[in-house]
This record gives sequence, C-alpha cells and structure tokens, in this order.
Amino acid sequence: MAKRKNWGWYALFVVPLLVIFVTVVIVPFIIGIFYSFFEWDGIRSNPMMPVGIENYIQLFSDSRFLDSAWITIKFTVLAVIAVNVVGLTFALLVTSKLRTANIARTFVFMPYLIGGLLLGYIWKFVFSDVFVMIGEWTGLDTIFFNWLMHPDYALYALVIVFTWQMAGYIMIIYIAGIQSIPGEVIEAAKIDGASLWQRNRRIIFPLLMPSFTISLFLTLSLGFKIYDTNLSLTGGGPANATELFAMNIYNEIFGYANYGYGQAKAVIFFIIIAVISLTQVYITKKREVEMQ
Amino acid sequence: MKRAGKISQEVLLFIVALLFLSPIYIIIVNSFKDRQSLYENVLAFPDSFSLEYYAQAMEKMNFMSALGNSLYITIISVIIIVILSSMTAWMLARNDNILSRIIFMGFIATMLIPFQTIMMPLIQLMNNIMGATGIPMLNSREGLIFMHVGFNSAISVFLYHGFVKSIPISLEEAATIDGASKFGIFWRVIFPILKPITVTVLIINVISIWNDYLLPSLVLRDTALRTIPLSTFYFFGEFTIQWNLAMAGLMLTIIPIVIFYASAQRHIIEGIGEGAVK
Amino acid sequence: MKASKKTLASLIVIGFLLILAACGGDDSVNGNNEGAEEGSANKITIFQSKVEISDQLQALAKEYTEETGVEVEVVGTTGDDYFQQLQIQLNTDQGPSIFSLQHVKEAEKLESYLYDMSDEDYVANIAPNMELALDGKVVGVPYGVEGFGLVYNKDLVSPEDVADLDSFVSTLEKLNDEGINGLGLAQDAYFLIGHISNYPFSIQDDHFEFIDQLSAGEVTMAETPEFQEFGEFFDAIKANTKNPLDVTYDEEIGDFATGKTAMIHQGNWAYGMLEEYDLDFEVGMLPFPLNGNDKLAVGVGNNWAINGTKDESEIQAASDFINWLVSSEVGQRYIVEEFGFVPAMTNIEANDLDPLSQAVFEASNSGETIPWAQNYYPANVVPNDMTPAAQDFFLNEEMTGQEFIENLDVAWQKSVK
Repeated sequence: MAKRKNWGWYALFVVPLLVIFVTVVIVPFIIGIFYSFFEWDGIRSNPMMPVGIENYIQLFSDSRFLDSAWITIKFTVLAVIAVNVVGLTFALLVTSKLRTANIARTFVFMPYLIGGLLLGYIWKFVFSDVFVMIGEWTGLDTIFFNWLMHPDYALYALVIVFTWQMAGYIMIIYIAGIQSIPGEVIEAAKIDGASLWQRNRRIIFPLLMPSFTISLFLTLSLGFKIYDTNLSLTGGGPANATELFAMNIYNEIFGYANYGYGQAKAVIFFIIIAVISLTQVYITKKREVEMQ
Repeated sequence: MKRAGKISQEVLLFIVALLFLSPIYIIIVNSFKDRQSLYENVLAFPDSFSLEYYAQAMEKMNFMSALGNSLYITIISVIIIVILSSMTAWMLARNDNILSRIIFMGFIATMLIPFQTIMMPLIQLMNNIMGATGIPMLNSREGLIFMHVGFNSAISVFLYHGFVKSIPISLEEAATIDGASKFGIFWRVIFPILKPITVTVLIINVISIWNDYLLPSLVLRDTALRTIPLSTFYFFGEFTIQWNLAMAGLMLTIIPIVIFYASAQRHIIEGIGEGAVK
Repeated sequence: MKASKKTLASLIVIGFLLILAACGGDDSVNGNNEGAEEGSANKITIFQSKVEISDQLQALAKEYTEETGVEVEVVGTTGDDYFQQLQIQLNTDQGPSIFSLQHVKEAEKLESYLYDMSDEDYVANIAPNMELALDGKVVGVPYGVEGFGLVYNKDLVSPEDVADLDSFVSTLEKLNDEGINGLGLAQDAYFLIGHISNYPFSIQDDHFEFIDQLSAGEVTMAETPEFQEFGEFFDAIKANTKNPLDVTYDEEIGDFATGKTAMIHQGNWAYGMLEEYDLDFEVGMLPFPLNGNDKLAVGVGNNWAINGTKDESEIQAASDFINWLVSSEVGQRYIVEEFGFVPAMTNIEANDLDPLSQAVFEASNSGETIPWAQNYYPANVVPNDMTPAAQDFFLNEEMTGQEFIENLDVAWQKSVK
C-alpha cells in the first residue's frame, strides 16, 4: 500500500514535466532519426525515398563533415578549458571579501545577457578594427592583427568570444556551489593556518565537485552546439576553417537541401558527443563528495 | 602594507572586470551614431547623445506590445519551469532506481542536441497536434510557452538534481515522521532550501527565454504576438544592417533583463557565507 | 530574510501587473483578427524576404484594406533565414498566401506550392524575359529589376580606363601607386564572388546550356577562355587592391563614399547607403569589361509568388492583391517611390531615379544588358562552395587566378553531386 502510494507521488511529481519534455524534445528527435534513412529535400509535398543506411555510409567519406567534426572537437576542448578557468577564477574572486566584488560580478555576467547574432558582429569590429589598431600602436602586429582572416586564429577568436560570453554564466554556477559550502568549514581552515591555495585545493575544490560536473557538462554541450556566434563572427570562414558542427548540419539541411543526410550527420554526432559527455559526467560524479 | 596589497587587489579586479565589459562600449556608443561616423571610427565617442535612434527603434519594433509579449512569455514559462523541474529533480534524486536514472539520462542527453536539427520535426509535430486536437500550439504565446518549458526543462532538472543531492536526507526523514505528505515536505521543507539554485535556474532561464530568437520566429507569426528579439529583425536587411537602430534595439532588449539581474543578484549575495545548509 | 521574501513577492506582483497591462493592450488587436478570419478570403498573409521594404509594404497593405476591406498581414524575418523559415511554414498549415522567391532554383524546390499565374492579366505587363517561369508556366511576378557593375567615382575614373582587361589592370596599378584602392569588393559571399562570378557565365552565347554542360561535367571553367580571362582579372585584383576579406560591406561603401576607393563592384541597391554620406563627387555604373563586355548585368532579385495550396477564395484574394499592386496608381507609386525599385513592368513609369538605378533602368529599357546567370546556379553554391574557394584565393599569396578557376570547378562539382 505504502509502496503504491509512493509511486503515485512519484508520478505526480515527474509526469507533468516529462510529458511536455517528451512532446517537445524526444518525439521530434525520433522523427529526425526516422528521416535520416531517407533521401528528401525537406519539402512536405516532395517525395521521400528510403535509402536505408546509405546516408550513414556516405558520412565517413565526406571530408568536409569530418573536418568540421574535428574542428568542433578542437574548439570545444579549448572552450571548455577557457570558460571554466575564467569562470571559476572570477567565482573565487567575487565570493571573497573584496569590496569591488559585487560590481565585478555584475560586469563579468553582463556579456551573457546579450543574446543572439549581434554579439558576433560586435566582436568582428573588435578583431578587424581594435586589434589592428593595437597592433599598429604597439608594433606587436604578429599578435594583434585581424584574427578572423587567419584559418587557425579565427578558431581562437571564436574561443575568446565564447569564453567572454559564457564565463559569467559558469561563474554563477560556481558561485552557487561555493555558497553551499558552510562558512564554518572555511573559517576553521583559516584558523588552522591553511593558505589560500591550500584552502582551495583541499577544501573548496573537493566540495565543488558537483559544480564541476555541472559546469563541465554545460560548457561541453554549449560548445558542441554553438551556432549563432559562429554564424555572425566567422560565417564558417575563412575557407571553411571554422565551420563548426551545427553550422555544417544547418548548411546540409537548408543549404544543400539534403534533409535526410543532414539528419544522419546529426545522429552520428549526437552519439559521439553523448559518449564523450556522459563519460565526463560519470567520472566527475564519482568524485563528488556527498555532504551528509 | 597589508592594506596596500588589499587595495591593489581591489583595483586589479575592477580593471579586469572592466576590460571584460569593454566590448559593450561598442554597442552603446554606436547606438548614437549615424552610418558615416560609425564608418569613420567605431570606437569614437558619439557627437551627441540624442535618443533619436532609440525613439526610432522603439517605434519600428512596436516596443510596448513586444515588451508585453516578452514579459508574459518569459514570466509564465519560468514559473512553470521552476515548479515542475524542481519537483521532478527532487523525486528523481531521492528515488534512485533504474527508472529515475533513465529519465535523468534522457534529460541530460538531450542537452546535446542542437536545436537546428530538430526544429523542423518539432514544428510539424506541433502542427499535427494542432490539427488533431484544435489546441493552438502554433502562432500562440501559450504554445510557445509550452515549447520553452520543454526545451529548458533539461538544464533546470540537471541543476536542481545536483543541488538536491547535497541536501542531507535527515531533514526529510524528520518531516516524514511528523506525518507530512510528500507534497507538504517538498514545498515546506525542501523548496526553501533550494533557494540559491532556484535563483540560478531563474536567471539562466529568464535570459535564454528572453533572448531566444529562433524558436519564437518559427512559432509566432502574427505581428501582434512578436517578442522583443523578433521585433529587431527590421534592422537586418537583405543587404544592409542599420547599425544604430540594431544597437539601440539591442540595448532596449537587454535593459529589462539587466534590471531583473540586478534585483535577483541581491538574493545571491544574501546567500554568501550564510550557506545553503544550516 | 523576511525583507528579501517581501521583495521577491513584490517583484512577482509587478510582473503579473505588467502582464495584465500587456494583455489589456492586446485585446483590440486579437479581436480584429478573429473578426476577419470568419470569411476566409477577407484576409491574406504575405511573407517576404526584403526587410528593406517591410514598413512601406505594411503601409501599402493598410491602404489596400481601406480601399477593399481585405485585410493583408505582412510577416517578415531577417534577410538571412527567410527561405528556411518559408520552408518550415509551408510544411505546416500556417503557410502564407503570398511569398517571395529569389530565383528559379527556389521555385523548382517549391514547385508543388506554386500557383500558375499564366492566365492572369497582370502577367502580360511583365518586361520581356523578366518573369519567373517554370516549365513554361509563369509562377512569379518580379519585385523590380536590379543591376550591378562597376560603381565608380567620376572624379577618379573615366569609362575608357576600364574598357578591357589591359586598361583595367593599368588603372588598378596607377590608382594603387597614388594610394587609392582601385576596386573594392567585400567579405560577404555575394559581394566577394557571387555577383562578380556572373560575367563569364552571362557572356556565354547560351548561359543555360553552358551551366547544364558544366554541371554534367562536359565542360570545365578552367578550359573556357572567358573564365581564364576572369582569372586574370582576379590576379590583378589580388595584386593591386585591398584584401576584400578584410573589408565589410559597410567599409566597402564607406571607403568608396569617402574617396579612398575609386570603384566598387556593387548594384543599384547600394545607393541607399551611399546617400547616408555627404558625397562630394558624382557616381555612375559601368559594365565589367570581361572580354570587352560593355553591358550591365540586369536581373530580378525577388519575385512575388502565390501559394497554390490555399483554398480558391484565398488564392483569388492573393491574386487580386498582386494585380492591384502592379496596376493601380497607388501600388505603382509605392513600387517606384516607396520601395525604390526599378520597375520590371512595362506599364509602370519611373521618374527621378537615383543615378545607379537610372543607369540600370536605361540599360534595361534599351535591352543592352547581360542576364544574371546566378539565378540558374545550383542552389546555394555561392555561400556554400564558391565563397570558401574565393577566401582561399585571397588568403593564399601564391595561388594564381587560373588555380582559383580550377578550384571553382571543384566547388561547382561538389554542389551538383
């Protein structure tokens, strides 16, 4: 009896959200997988030809897709490191007793408030005007030139903009984590004479493991999915050097009108990143210290 | 000596933070310039701070109507998200069985799907639901709210889930012995403890829903239903971008959210030192 | 703690009040919509991609409603994501009654949605060869004609300076020595390579046939003389002008308007931006002298099409609107004065055009034009394949024009595979 009642509560708490979630995300995703076995241009009234797994086979000889997948992984690794280092550093700084902490927190978070395409356009000004200007003033024109013109540096430019935008977001999550650490624990460590680094290394970081799990996973998923900034900052150029994954699929589906093939790409890439990300979650979760 | 060190730390943090903010300077100054002055120097101070372009942008965007739509959609979505995802996350975290794990994995795995790859099936599905049941999923603000809840549930459940696990279970056990129902325990005991993460969930969802362009652009067709980001499309022409209006429009988009963030932030500060668990 | 709860509560209350206020404001609008939807042909929806005319089109729609009682709703989106939006809208039952199409490739894709306008009266007035046709049926009415070529500063360049490859090259060199950028392109796909790539196609005897042969692999660009010379033009451009990848569209226009650039490859649409500067020189438009070509490239950028899957009364209402747009005095005045189009209809007069539009209009009327071959390119070959090849060319110092043309061959094959 009690058990059945428990299931009733379980259903009451979980089912409403689950229904919405399945309708909005899961079902369309499954429909997408279904389309990946067809050759179709994405127009409802035009014919869909079943081609089995041919779309999937074709993928592995598509050099533009393979390049794009590789660039995306490279970008994501760099972005995850940069965002988390910057975000965590600021989180530690702004939860300290510095008086400028409040204003710094607001400033760092501000870029995240700006959504969408315009952000990339603004950074385009920064790289093509400000960087060039700094290069001319300081004579360091091997560092400060228009990064967007260089196939490698354009990717780094994307990492910088992404970090700029996301560090504040990740900072908030670390702040929430730091706040949940009881103040007495840190005070006790201070009284025991632990240095700042020791306190971080021995007390704060282990207790922050849940925040690490969340932040790493979030940056991974945001990095893999990046589209808006990619489009407005580099447009995939120069010469496809920064055509990240979401843009590659988008171009396949809406540019080349290969709907089925584009969906096949999406499925394969989803599997790859799911394996990577879930491994990461599994590893970091195992290290979490549960506070009892 | 120690004092001097402290002051230099303060100054350093301030400068770094200011540097972080600096690209926003470009938005602000150029929302006051005409095309020629923008071309001559992107970084220069504008000749005057006339609000001309803001007035123009507001008029073109039909700002008050768009603001109303954005507020309605964002507030309702976020309230629903907070209520449903905190409940779900708590249940999933506290009933660690195979079903919970599958559901939780389902939520987080979908965070890896780029929206661009499912938008077309999504809209088709919503169209079919609409045809079959008559519920206005498309071209209605409520339909959009439904979809926002679906897309933002994963991250919210994910955030709550991690936090719930750090709450000692003993609190709930005490309440259970007192005879409270699950519902009562959740709302009276657990939800107040979740406050710091609720603030985080609020902030993140408000921002992503407020700024979203792609989903509303697919769902809302009537001019009268447009949200603020949708209204800025006027400034992005086939061949030209009207920079001053686009920048002014962007400022108008982010000002409400800056106000929201500034007020929500106080609740984060309160949490500092206090700790979530007492 | 208590105080914070109070502020949180008051924030929520304020939020709800704002919602209520907003809802109150909306009611009148919603009420109107519902009233109109009862009779289906009382309302049509237009979805179109040219953001530049959104406001004006809305004003026009209002006038139409006042005159006829038919409500016209104008829906817009940013220029970039229009076609994808249209595709998704058409896949639902929410599709528009009238939408815009850029060229025949888009029409082919949406063939099953297109209403055959061939028998409508207004089709007869479309200027020769300017209608959007598919399998002998007219499926689109042009917005207007547009043209591109070398937009030049009359103080710095005269027509005989750019009459053929040799004079073109020596002009670029001379201007370069004087510290003036001879020719400005911009980094955007169409301004970098899309428009300018038309010439070697358009001056073929039959560019449709040529493109078909090219797609079938029967000919290559690299072995075609017009393309070889086009490669030489690009060699000269790379050697003597500012790297276009470093130039945004705004900068291209700004550099030209301030006399730092002598010529830009642009169309008559650019005048709208030039007007925002105080020009102290006269501008004109010259043909791009590939193989001694002396004609401007004139074509149609956008067309009105009717959604043939709607019910008959809605199709009729949509057709009536287009008829009114191109035949009534009000509609025609809007096309020329408010939209700023060079009319593509023989029954519309155009006066007081800006200098670039005037050049296009004269060329178009006299028939001294070459076609826009790009309207027959494989879908999206410009942004997806040709642009990366052009970026490669401008980044890589050593690459020659001929190699660039070979890369364009590769790019082309990729998009037709």
